Amino acid sequence: MALITIAEALNLALRQEMEHDSRVMILGEDVGVDGGVFRITDGLIKKFGENRVVDTPLAEAGIVGSAVGLAMAGMRPIAEIQFDGFVYPAFDQLINHAARMRTRSRGKFTCPIVVRFPYSGGVRALEHHSESMEALYIHTPGLKVVCPSTPYDAKGLMISAIRDPDPVIFMEPKRLYRSLKEDVPEEEYLIPLGKARVMIEGSDVTVIGWGSMVPVMLKAQSALAQENISLEVIDLRTLSPLDTETILASVQKTGRAVIVQEAPQTCGLASEISMIIMEHALFNLKAPVVRVSGFDVIPPLLKTEDFNIPNEKRLIAGIRKTLIS
Amino acid sequence: MAFEFKFPDVGEGIHEGEIVHWRVKVGDTVKEDQPLVEVETAKAIVELPSPKAGTVLAIFGKEGDNIKVGVTLVLIGEKGEKATLTSQLVENQKGPEQASPGVIGRIPTEEKGVVLPSRKPETSAAKAASAPVLPATRKLAADLKVDLTKISGTGAGGQITEEDVRKNSNQFHFEKYGTVENLPLHGVRKAIAEHMVKSKSEIPHVTHMDELDASALVKLRESKKAEAAKKGIKLTYLPFIIKAAIESLKKHPGLNAFFDGAGNQIVYKKYYNIAIAVDTPEGLMLPVIKDADKKDIFEIAKEIVDLAAKCRDRKIDLKDLQGGSFSITNIGSVGGIMATPIISYGQTANLGLYRIKEKPIAIDGKVEIRPILSLTITYDHRVVDGAEGARFMNDLMAELLK
Amino acid sequence: MQIIESFNPLKDEMIKVLNEHGEIVRPELVPNWDDKKLREIYELMIFIQTFDKKLISLQRQGRCGTYVSVEGQEACQIGSTTVLEKTDLLFPSFRESGVAYVHGVPLEKICLYWMGNEWGSNFEANVAPVSIPVGSQAIHAVGYAWANKLQKKSAITVSYFGDGGTSTGDFYEAMNFAGVFKVPTILFCQNNQWAISTPRSKQSATKTLAQKAIAAGIPGIQVDGNDIFAVAAVMAEAADRARKGLGATFIEAVTYRLANHTTSDDSTKYRDPKEVEKMRPFNPVLRYKLFLQKKKLWTEDFEKELTEKAEAAVKIAVEKAEKTPPPEPNEMFDYVFEKPTQTLEDEKQSLLNFLKNS
Repeated sequence: MALITIAEALNLALRQEMEHDSRVMILGEDVGVDGGVFRITDGLIKKFGENRVVDTPLAEAGIVGSAVGLAMAGMRPIAEIQFDGFVYPAFDQLINHAARMRTRSRGKFTCPIVVRFPYSGGVRALEHHSESMEALYIHTPGLKVVCPSTPYDAKGLMISAIRDPDPVIFMEPKRLYRSLKEDVPEEEYLIPLGKARVMIEGSDVTVIGWGSMVPVMLKAQSALAQENISLEVIDLRTLSPLDTETILASVQKTGRAVIVQEAPQTCGLASEISMIIMEHALFNLKAPVVRVSGFDVIPPLLKTEDFNIPNEKRLIAGIRKTLIS
Repeated sequence: MAFEFKFPDVGEGIHEGEIVHWRVKVGDTVKEDQPLVEVETAKAIVELPSPKAGTVLAIFGKEGDNIKVGVTLVLIGEKGEKATLTSQLVENQKGPEQASPGVIGRIPTEEKGVVLPSRKPETSAAKAASAPVLPATRKLAADLKVDLTKISGTGAGGQITEEDVRKNSNQFHFEKYGTVENLPLHGVRKAIAEHMVKSKSEIPHVTHMDELDASALVKLRESKKAEAAKKGIKLTYLPFIIKAAIESLKKHPGLNAFFDGAGNQIVYKKYYNIAIAVDTPEGLMLPVIKDADKKDIFEIAKEIVDLAAKCRDRKIDLKDLQGGSFSITNIGSVGGIMATPIISYGQTANLGLYRIKEKPIAIDGKVEIRPILSLTITYDHRVVDGAEGARFMNDLMAELLK
Repeated sequence: MQIIESFNPLKDEMIKVLNEHGEIVRPELVPNWDDKKLREIYELMIFIQTFDKKLISLQRQGRCGTYVSVEGQEACQIGSTTVLEKTDLLFPSFRESGVAYVHGVPLEKICLYWMGNEWGSNFEANVAPVSIPVGSQAIHAVGYAWANKLQKKSAITVSYFGDGGTSTGDFYEAMNFAGVFKVPTILFCQNNQWAISTPRSKQSATKTLAQKAIAAGIPGIQVDGNDIFAVAAVMAEAADRARKGLGATFIEAVTYRLANHTTSDDSTKYRDPKEVEKMRPFNPVLRYKLFLQKKKLWTEDFEKELTEKAEAAVKIAVEKAEKTPPPEPNEMFDYVFEKPTQTLEDEKQSLLNFLKNS
């Protein structure tokens, strides 16, 4: 057991899985010698060599596209895209090919790739380095979408993602790479995809979030606990497939739901969850479901980005809306 | 005010470093961007430039000291200024702002105020779902101040229904006193209840009562009976009274009207649609004889029978229940001497008829037995004053005496 | 002197005019600049070096966000831009602060950009906003040039990117379109040998980047990017060709990235500092100074004067930028569309209400 960060947990997961399975390889820009711009792949090229930890030319479509080909031929590639805003050139490969290979060939060819990248903002970065567009991936049939928020989850989910027979989009909240530490077992463990985690049990309001919003939820929980308002905090961990069972059981118990996301509001995952709650738990609701969301704007640059990203104050305001009976 | 120079975020994944070499000492004059100190980080030795020009008032830390990002390293101010160590300064030595590697921005190394909850074994624990309630029912419960958590639902899957809520909203619990039987409200009974409350609460009811020597009426009816029988019609007193009432209404239109508060007016109806109260197993119904002034006794009599039958058979048309301008309640067929009927909402009067009874009355100083018809006229006192109401009755009786 | 047409990127040596000792090796290609202009060029070099250092320092002090240095690429930045018309539209990537300044963007605006204020990209000069996804904007330059051609305007466009940018599909598509539609654009590649940690040798199996132009059927020419005369000469000819309707040119300017990739990068992790020191004597400012010295156009006083002037001007620009208030929160809603949708209006209102009440 060691107290480590998400970055270290991911590094550990990658190292252990590459030891465990010789088909696993990493490719991307600056992942080898530089160890990745966030040092997630630090030290791996030294251990596994440049055929398994590959510094590629600057070409996202090329990276994902060759990962598709590698996977079709039996390798287990983990493609790193340096930043969320740079995934878009690879969309053709992701949506038109990675997501469809199994269907297209009725299982003759499959695409067990992991495409991982840092996502979300709040890091005072240049343009395109602060996207939260998970909805685009969730909306694409054939892709699974994972988003850990803690070191323990990061390791367990990464290994599950690598072993998953289908393409997994692995979104890493960059703001949290080094800001949270948790005890993470050295030995292998898996967290299954599609399982949310009830971080804190509560009785008054169910608060659902993922990735960068998890600390926001935790701050709101401790603040409202002082007012005797008991929140049940759920970390989705996997965005697609969604753990509807956990969500519904919680909302049926509390009768109130607030979903918080950094992503733009329209057609975000919060909207989908709201609909699922409406469909299956309407008669348990004591108030309409509330979404606390980023706005439908282009992520502002560092001078104004904080106005767009939900913080615990905005989340608390949203939670209070459900408590006005 | 002295300027505090803190070990800044140098953007290379650094949250701490070691002072390698001071490039300035206390008392030195420094220019903007002049290197102040060399700090060794995990990656490299970094030169930190001064953001301000001035005199070095104080430096914090010796060569070889380990420092965290955010701690104050140098105080720069005016020559001769005192370097006061504020508590703020001391606080800053804890170094909260930290940095992290990346090609971009500032990756924090501490999520302030966040404690990750400990992990419990992941089980799909069955949770206690609250009883389902339709949103509309939930609102009703709130309005009626019923606590949903304290009642059990009788609907499918334990759903709490509207009935469950209403039942539980009763202040009375009659079962306390003995056995009760609950009849759910719907249909005619429910409509009557609502109608009566509306009428009685809005219209100021006054009932004027009188008695009539019905001898002439009795004779009249006898004389028409044979003719009616030939037409296959059962002839009661009601058609005659209807005719007489219409004659009186023509003189007293206020009793054939409607008080339109919303429209700030009184609507005088120029038509005579007489609604007659019919008692059915479901409850009271008021079918309407339209344009009764244009029909003769026999037509009216026939219509009365037909409408009553339709009511009892539940075959009455909605349009036959609408459009009445004046109502007659013949409770006399059942019993009683007098009553105070309720005006049908939309009208201004209701004529009550009672059983013709043989009674002793005084005629020219002698006691004689005569058939006596009791009548009541209940009217809307917003439209009809007491005298007017009495006059209507007088004129009605005068008609009947003819 | 016309050299683009006849240059064979598969065989020919890169174009050199001024070597690292400050000596002219191809006098016929030296631009026709008088002494005044020659001094102005040096002034620009000093100015760019000054603000470049200042912005790095500001980042180190937390006074601006990540900054991308142009150290070592001053000849590319100045040489490629000074020969253009002010009406030509430039499409920079993120390592073109020098280019922007030379083409007329006030330093204050450049500072605002690096400080994370969108207004830093709004100014009169003909420079398009920075394109972070490197190489993705070359096709915009192509499209814009295409419009100029259709509208019979004489202005040309130039897109800027590094060696890494030439590996993208976007880059090839831009070149290919430029060739097919014969548009008046220049694709200017500053091959500074490093794409973060990826050395040039790992970026492509080609011997030169210039030869990639062959695949698009446009001229590709390799030039010594540390040599301001060579850059200026080739750029001037390419611009002239474009204006004459002869179509696009791809220029590979071979230079060296003396700085880290950005202020958040530590290149010692992947690059031997010895290599950097080996390359330093080849840097453009040094050789140009040596050239000026040979021509007796440089003095200590001249250097001092330029340095002081630069520092003063930079200080004023930084002050102005720092005094600029950040954008109001409503701005992020107001610039999404020409007219905000109802959703945006509602969201704006809810945010403003929230801020008012909190």
